Amino acid sequence: MSRITDAFKDKRVFIPFITGGDPDIETTEKLVRVLAKAGAGVIEIGIPFSDPVAEGEVIQAADERALKAGCTVDKLFSMVTRLREDVTTPLLFMTYYNAIFGYGTERFIEKCVQCGIDGLIVPDLPFEEMGELLAPAHEGGIEVISLIAPTSDERIDTIARQSEGFLYCVSSLGVTGVRGQLGGLAKHMVERAKRVTATPCAVGFGVSNAEQAAEIAKFADGVIVGSAIVRLVAEYKTASEQPVFDFAKGIVEAIS
Amino acid sequence: MAKIKICGICRKEDVRYVNSALPDYIGFVFAPSKRRVTHAQAAELRSLLDSRIIPVGVFVNAPIDEIAELYKSGVIQIAQLHGGENADYIRKLKDVCNVPIIQALRRGCGDSICDLADYVLFDSSKGGTGTPFDLGDVVNTVPHLKALLDLRGFFSSDKAEDEGLPSQVKEDNAVRRKKDRKDTMVLSAEQYMCDKPWFLAGGIDAGNIDTALSAAPYAVDCSSGAETDGVKDETKIHALTERVRNEAKRLNKGRFGQFGGQYIPETLMSAVLELEREYLKYKNDSEFTAELNELLAQYAGRPSRLYYAEKMTRDLGGAKIYLKREDLNHTGSHKLNNVLGQILLAKKMGKTRVIAETGAGQHGVATATVAALMDMECEIFMGKEDTERQALNVYRMELLGAKVNAVTSGTATLKDAVNATMREWAARMNDTHYVLGSVMGPHPFPTIVRDFQAVISREIKEQLLSKEGRLPDAVLACVGGGSNAIGSFYEFIKDETVALIGCEAAGKGVDTPQNAATIANGRTGVFHGMKSLFCQDDFGQIAPVYSISAGLDYPGIGPEHADLFETGRASYVAVTDDEAVDAFEYLSRTEGIIPAIESAHAVAYARKLAPTMDKDKIMVVTVSGRGDKDVAAIARYRGIDVHE
Repeated sequence: MSRITDAFKDKRVFIPFITGGDPDIETTEKLVRVLAKAGAGVIEIGIPFSDPVAEGEVIQAADERALKAGCTVDKLFSMVTRLREDVTTPLLFMTYYNAIFGYGTERFIEKCVQCGIDGLIVPDLPFEEMGELLAPAHEGGIEVISLIAPTSDERIDTIARQSEGFLYCVSSLGVTGVRGQLGGLAKHMVERAKRVTATPCAVGFGVSNAEQAAEIAKFADGVIVGSAIVRLVAEYKTASEQPVFDFAKGIVEAIS
Repeated sequence: MAKIKICGICRKEDVRYVNSALPDYIGFVFAPSKRRVTHAQAAELRSLLDSRIIPVGVFVNAPIDEIAELYKSGVIQIAQLHGGENADYIRKLKDVCNVPIIQALRRGCGDSICDLADYVLFDSSKGGTGTPFDLGDVVNTVPHLKALLDLRGFFSSDKAEDEGLPSQVKEDNAVRRKKDRKDTMVLSAEQYMCDKPWFLAGGIDAGNIDTALSAAPYAVDCSSGAETDGVKDETKIHALTERVRNEAKRLNKGRFGQFGGQYIPETLMSAVLELEREYLKYKNDSEFTAELNELLAQYAGRPSRLYYAEKMTRDLGGAKIYLKREDLNHTGSHKLNNVLGQILLAKKMGKTRVIAETGAGQHGVATATVAALMDMECEIFMGKEDTERQALNVYRMELLGAKVNAVTSGTATLKDAVNATMREWAARMNDTHYVLGSVMGPHPFPTIVRDFQAVISREIKEQLLSKEGRLPDAVLACVGGGSNAIGSFYEFIKDETVALIGCEAAGKGVDTPQNAATIANGRTGVFHGMKSLFCQDDFGQIAPVYSISAGLDYPGIGPEHADLFETGRASYVAVTDDEAVDAFEYLSRTEGIIPAIESAHAVAYARKLAPTMDKDKIMVVTVSGRGDKDVAAIARYRGIDVHE
């Protein structure tokens, strides 16, 4: 069993997302430790991209801040190497395909393996195009997380069947961002996926507080929270450790 | 993404094989067959079956209670009916247990069965007519499956129409219909198309599964093809399942060489797949084509003139120069060709709202125009920087009833406007069509936009043949994303003697940081849904680009251009701001034609190229738009303060 899937054994998993290098690499490094301490089961680190088409305004702004502050993927590889001295939580990179392709896919995977990244989430690489990343990733033992959306419909069966790590269930239409209400779409999607796969299902896009997380944990194996945390980082900047810890702790308790 | 069913599972070994290969469905046959299983056997096999595989029960005229019992006890999850079951039978079965149904189609089973079933199954080996026909037959006809079935007498949809008529009239009607259908099958097949997901069965094996998959069924159903000596073969089951899986990952969808593809978030996939399906349905539909041609003629003012620029020719002293006057289209650019096509398509698809990105504002104006004409709600996304450069066009779009959103993210130019429009589409695709303005983005956009712009080169060819009796030696057009260029090139791609030259924006020079010359400075990347050439840094971050022309200020190029460049069929040159402004003034003074600053890039290169060509050579330059919108900006470029 993979390290990522392993994290889901016997518990509901909190999967936080933070944008790497926002406001700077040092803060991101501290935040990863803080999230692990608060009980996150898997942690997503975003590699900032110039044109993040699947993101809402909160993460778009974080990407712009991080790039302006000089964040590069090389700096993030070094950061992960340092984190791996003491952090054992599975770590994922989330980024757009050109950040991988432009760097050189094989070289990118090699670096991921060296520094201790467990998996990748690439939102602009749908099932049909995923083949060109899967082969080199699998060679390095890196898992690629698949996404399903409310509009995926019967694609869910095919995607879910071949998913690995966990299945990222996008709870609503549109882009990432905090939403007041989450529809019943996510529950339906998870149920449909679970008919054909044993891969754990985690729900993301729009989850912003402990109540919503608890609601999702009733039917899903994991809860992904991004924009709500990134918003805290935007507000508290280099002093965001404590607020992020408190927030994360709240989510972990709500879903346990 | 086809699925696969392995039918006739009857031994424990068979279950072990499918558990490791994981097909989508397996079938237990409860009807007389050498693979028949009893209820008890099926229940035992079911208990060993991986929960990810859906078990289907295959029946021929079975008692309803038998199916219901197997379904309720969980031995099967779907019932596949192969006998003389009628609509009444299916209704009763649905009443008792609501089991999903795969209905094998047979002669005379009627439309109502198709309506009641959840899936249909088409057995190509028998087809219900008693006349065997092979897979090739099906494949040639699909996706006109229903038309084929109709011809073979599967449906009786004319009954209602004929109700109450004397029997002689009915017979005459039947004969006439049969003849009509044969004559018009290909043209009007879509209207007969069966809209239920369909299984294709009948002798599918490793040798013909590719052909079967090319017919794009919902699922393929394999039985004897997965056997050796009459029993299931593990290797064959694995091979067939793998083949179907790989088909879904095939990298050839919407590809131009290595370029193109569909690199978009899963949230958008259903929208582009719907668009692809609908476009294929309408592109050869005679009614759609007639409507579009009428609009192009009466509303856009096509064909656009192919004008012999005599003064320019004389002045440059080389090749004979013709200007393709897309600037004479309604709204003043080639953009309208594509917009009319796409919004007509959107209308047919039942959409009520259109959204679009725009750079210079030409595409935004064209979209707002056609939206007004066709009663569509319209929202345009435009980089904030561009809304300032092209303030008049913003007002123009608002005047036409569109809402214009200024995009402030990123570099606040065209690429950011595309990002914003994609985000908006992902959030609202049910009633909304994204009218992409260039030959870029995820498949099928580069193909759709090219097809709608190809009218330019079709006309050039026809007009030049009638004026000169021959093909041109060179065709020049400016390239941002590349829609007027591909439109100007397309008909000539196979005519190897015609040089195709795209003129991209070098801004302040290809060696300065301020340019938008993708071919000169870009490298292969993946962005905005496509694999193509992009201006980017070492880390794959998309580079900010610059050009005096907002319409060419884009960091990428359409995938078909990338392929034409890579294969050497077309060449691309870079033209600076200075050269373009000079050409803008030159064409105004020489021919009394003020070109768009974008088109002036092509004119600029024509000025360099024409004198190097012999006088008996012919060059066509596409003037993609008119320059009224640029006059104030050019004045400012020359240091004259003109207020719009």
